[in-house]
Amino acid sequence: MTGTAEPIPLLGGGPAPSHAPAALPGVPGAPAAPRPGRPRVLLAPVTVTPCKPLTPSHLKGLLWVDVMYRATARLAEVTYRYSPTTYHPTDQTLGFWEYLDHTLGDTDYSRLTEEEIGELYVGYRAAGRPTPVSALGPYLDAIEHHGWVHPAGARVLELWSAQYARLGMHDPGLVEHQPPGMALDEVLDRLGPLGLCLDMREYGGPVYLDATRYGLPLRQIATARGRPNYLACALRELIPLVPGYDEVVLLHDPELGPDYQLLQRVLSALGPVVRRVPVGRVPIDGRIRSARHGDWRGHSAGALLEALGADHEDAALRLGTRLYFIATLGPGDQQSFRPDLLRQCVIRAERMLSGHGGPADPPGGDLTGFLARQRAPHAHAVDPYRLTSGLLARRRPVPLHELLPAVFL
Amino acid sequence: MKLSQDLLRAEAARRVQVARPDLAAGLDLSTAAALAEAHARIQESADTDGLLAVSVVRRFELAAWTRATCEFAIGTAPERLAAWRRSFSRTIFLAGNPDNLGDRFRFDHIAEDGSAAWAGPAPAAASAGLRRLLKLFDGSRGLPPRPDTPVRIPEAIGPRHRPPVRRKLYVATAGSTVADTLVHLNHLLVEAVLDGLLAPGDTLTVRQLPRLIGLPGPYAALRVGAEPEHPGRLRAYACLTGETVGAGA
Repeated sequence: MTGTAEPIPLLGGGPAPSHAPAALPGVPGAPAAPRPGRPRVLLAPVTVTPCKPLTPSHLKGLLWVDVMYRATARLAEVTYRYSPTTYHPTDQTLGFWEYLDHTLGDTDYSRLTEEEIGELYVGYRAAGRPTPVSALGPYLDAIEHHGWVHPAGARVLELWSAQYARLGMHDPGLVEHQPPGMALDEVLDRLGPLGLCLDMREYGGPVYLDATRYGLPLRQIATARGRPNYLACALRELIPLVPGYDEVVLLHDPELGPDYQLLQRVLSALGPVVRRVPVGRVPIDGRIRSARHGDWRGHSAGALLEALGADHEDAALRLGTRLYFIATLGPGDQQSFRPDLLRQCVIRAERMLSGHGGPADPPGGDLTGFLARQRAPHAHAVDPYRLTSGLLARRRPVPLHELLPAVFL
Repeated sequence: MKLSQDLLRAEAARRVQVARPDLAAGLDLSTAAALAEAHARIQESADTDGLLAVSVVRRFELAAWTRATCEFAIGTAPERLAAWRRSFSRTIFLAGNPDNLGDRFRFDHIAEDGSAAWAGPAPAAASAGLRRLLKLFDGSRGLPPRPDTPVRIPEAIGPRHRPPVRRKLYVATAGSTVADTLVHLNHLLVEAVLDGLLAPGDTLTVRQLPRLIGLPGPYAALRVGAEPEHPGRLRAYACLTGETVGAGA
């Protein structure tokens, strides 16, 4: 058996398929009323702050989560929690917005590209001007109480939404107001009796997350004046959410491993099984750099989509990017970004979609049973690497006809 | 009792002489600057082979902490205390919750209410694991106002060689942070225990004052330190008075 006999009728034109499951009803982020026998799974990846273009590293992480979400949705009630709102209060974002207003004044961001906004971000980091804490208060107030987003951030999120759509990724609410369910003090009230936080503000010290009983070092989560860092923001969001789930999957950069170990410990104490999935970043020419140094230049998601989209249909782009960023690169961070290999994957996707060069499609394939076998051991969530790399193995039968539109296109 | 610069300097010099008579003999202790240098030199030798205590602080309340510090010092063998004094009773204060650490570390004393715990004094390596896990205590605020509070050191915690006494403990608050107060009082209290000035059954009345001026005297122990805003000048940060009226149980 060598692939399917007929082309998969998705290549070429037409409206985008309604591939992604609809957002869950009810309170944003709250688990849907479970169907009997269906486990409830929460996917909570690291959230990218809307200050710069998406890079290959971001694309890899986002595609990873997208495949996990859409595949797992066939087996379980899944919530994909991804709230930019939650992380706007971090210094990185708030400081950038305050800097923009301080240095540029009222500016029309609606026609800027995300690269241009990213250059402003590089300027902000290079300036190294400490943001006066008093200047941040009004921004925090507007974000927390009015759902306000700075026009520069709103512009980046708008551009990202278009890129998500182009890539066929489920939009978890990029431009929606999704406030975290708890204030910082409520988080501390919850963690204090469990011995999981150490609040030294009364003496002029910071607030720490305290998992020392598990041998993990104290980690500051808020300053003496109560300014939270991203970890505190994550706690504000996840602590009220997680008790409703059977499994919580935290996806993160390996560099954030120590923080996510802490998060895993703390959230586990609230009931659910919490798993961490580190997804390695994508080095550029052997180096992992950061946005503050403009690591996206020449490799932004927008530029990549532009280049590939000129020669290939969206369906091939969608499958090809997943074959590259998930199956080819894998969970590690050893391989540098290779635009030539990415293009090869898109070409391979084209062939698979036209019925050639893919794995065998078993007659009467059972997608649910197939996906259930792609889960990590003892887990409800599907392993994107196992699932996607299976597409590259020709000998194993895969129910491609159902699987591709459900998960990969 | 006027705490003149001469008196403060003599007290600071005495502390150096008591802690390290071997080194003090060759050092100039006649000015505040010379004292600071002598201090730094002794600290340097203490860093390499001295003894170090670690205090883990979860909550700080002056009276409870004073009592727990005395209990810790009284529970430490006198010869160990004496050896510790040779390192200027060096102590590192860490933010941490003793309740979370008991499975991994053995404390030498834990405050009755769990607000603080002590390990050591011991060679620095003994507390390396604890220091890696915790962060330095950051207490940059001033002390909250509080009324005079009696602190009774329990009788049952150690042998008593004399009848109980009452003393006052004056603590200077102007320009002092919680972290400064921990350091100053810790030195004063543990050295007072070693000198027999504080013992089981004694009662202290803790009083906060902006500065230690116009005190009636006499004093039994004085904690002297540099005055950051006036280089070359010394200041009293804490004072343990002589036995006050009504001494005895």
